[in-house]
Amino acid sequence: MADKSDITLYTTQTPNGIKISIALEELGLPYKVHKIEFSKNAQKEPWFLEINPNGRIPALTDTFTDGNPINLFESGSIMQYLVSRYDTEYKISHPPGSREWYEMNNWLFFQNAGVGPMQGQANHFTRYAPEHIEYGVNRYQNETRRLYGVLDKHLDEKKIPYLTGEKCTIADIAHWGWIAAAGWCGVDIDHFPALKAWEERMAARPALEKGRHVPDPHTVKEVLKNKEETEKHAAESRAWVQKGMQEDADKLRR
Amino acid sequence: MSTKPIRVWLAPPGPNPWKVILVLEELQIPYEIVSIKFEDIKAKPFIDLNPNGRVPAIEDPNTGLVLWETGAVILYLVEQYDVVKKLTYGTVQEKSHVQQWLMFQISGQGPYYGQGSWFHVLHSEKLPSAINRYVEEAKRICGVLEQGLTDKRWLVGDKITLADLAFVPWNDRLDVVLMCPAECKFNDFPRVKAWHESMVARPSWEKAMENGMPKQVSNMEEYLAKIKVKKNTRAEAEGS
Ligand SMILES: N[C@@H](CCC(=O)N[C@@H](CS)C(=O)NCC(=O)O)C(=O)O
Ligand SMILES: N[C@@H](CCC(=O)N[C@@H](CS)C(=O)NCC(=O)O)C(=O)O
Repeated sequence: MADKSDITLYTTQTPNGIKISIALEELGLPYKVHKIEFSKNAQKEPWFLEINPNGRIPALTDTFTDGNPINLFESGSIMQYLVSRYDTEYKISHPPGSREWYEMNNWLFFQNAGVGPMQGQANHFTRYAPEHIEYGVNRYQNETRRLYGVLDKHLDEKKIPYLTGEKCTIADIAHWGWIAAAGWCGVDIDHFPALKAWEERMAARPALEKGRHVPDPHTVKEVLKNKEETEKHAAESRAWVQKGMQEDADKLRR
Repeated sequence: MSTKPIRVWLAPPGPNPWKVILVLEELQIPYEIVSIKFEDIKAKPFIDLNPNGRVPAIEDPNTGLVLWETGAVILYLVEQYDVVKKLTYGTVQEKSHVQQWLMFQISGQGPYYGQGSWFHVLHSEKLPSAINRYVEEAKRICGVLEQGLTDKRWLVGDKITLADLAFVPWNDRLDVVLMCPAECKFNDFPRVKAWHESMVARPSWEKAMENGMPKQVSNMEEYLAKIKVKKNTRAEAEGS
């Protein structure tokens, strides 16, 4: 591999953030971590908006082959960049142009356009919303269950260990943090046995075990076992989510 | 060897399939539309193609590939058929930025505009805080695009790419999401307005729309209203 990397990952402990640290660990690439403090709304600070105008994590900077910096945002495109540039041995991807490459993209988009946004809305109405709206809770929990059903059936019927076959790819990595946190939005993973087995298979990978604890320990599974802890975490997240919504609204009104 | 038409499965009212049609039109790739009804999306034979039961899905007889998720589909079309790189770039740096904006479209614009129009138009009970959440988010997303278009006509480099085109179908319905008159929808976003208008003036969009909205309906709002009436009537019938 001729390219030299100089990667900094801007992240915090969330399902989208750990996608990138897990992928980096799987690829064995060195990287620096810059933690973004949501409680201080650091993701909306001007210097960070220069890197990601969308004010969300993850974002990544690197030195490109031409010697100049490259800034990237959107977890899906960051993972595509990492494998296009560094996964020359196809450890967590398939050769570009192959059938498996397109299928991998298919499931990657399914996560980023489907599971992420819908489970995110389920989190919102279940945990963060300023008022309780039963309809919102049900709508998004049900949609999340439907999407989990698609994954479960796919893994079960095809009898494959990973979404595109024998190999764990960025499509699997994209899903893991979300599936591992199913209980946070009120979905019971036990109803999806093939998906649950896949989640455990993923969790047994050493690189995943390393990558999931970036920048802070990944504790959602333990937290969910304890009602008090769950409520404490929810309250913390609720505070920054609502503050962020308010600030965004104020900015738009100017 | 000439290209056999690519079969695109879609249900006309949704915005997402038109991203794929736009790219096919831009690249002059032959295609044929299989139009299905909303009620048939979660049923066979469509779910044999797309287990997620969402339109669109494509079948490419030239390669035997079946593919769904609009983002994956348009990346495929461009990689497979856009040999001169009309709608993308050959270099990793520019290509990554094209993918970045495409991801922002599919995970940012699409889901939030979609939920916004649901709570406005299709959901029977008015829930102000839910509506508000998605209206604010849609405006925030336009703000990000406005920023991304600073001193630029296009999102990446100096030409139109698949990333620009991907935003067209949903931005065309922004008025439904914001519940405002069509001519006001881009009021705070002049660069987004100019960018959007230059794209809907292209022959590709005009062609796509000829195949698009059902003939007797003139705009999206009317169409959604129609669906709603139909849905309510069905719900009443089931309830009685
Ligand atoms: N589609 C984006 C979603 C990113 C996202 O939702 N990031 C959250 C954390 S998981 C965030 O930064 N939220 C901060 C905020 O909304 O202020 C991606 O995949 O990168
Ligand atoms: N500003 C966000 C704050 C919460 C947030 O960023 N949630 C992330 C998860 S940590 C999310 O839902 N992301 C959606 C996605 O990944 O598509 C909101 O109001 O939803």
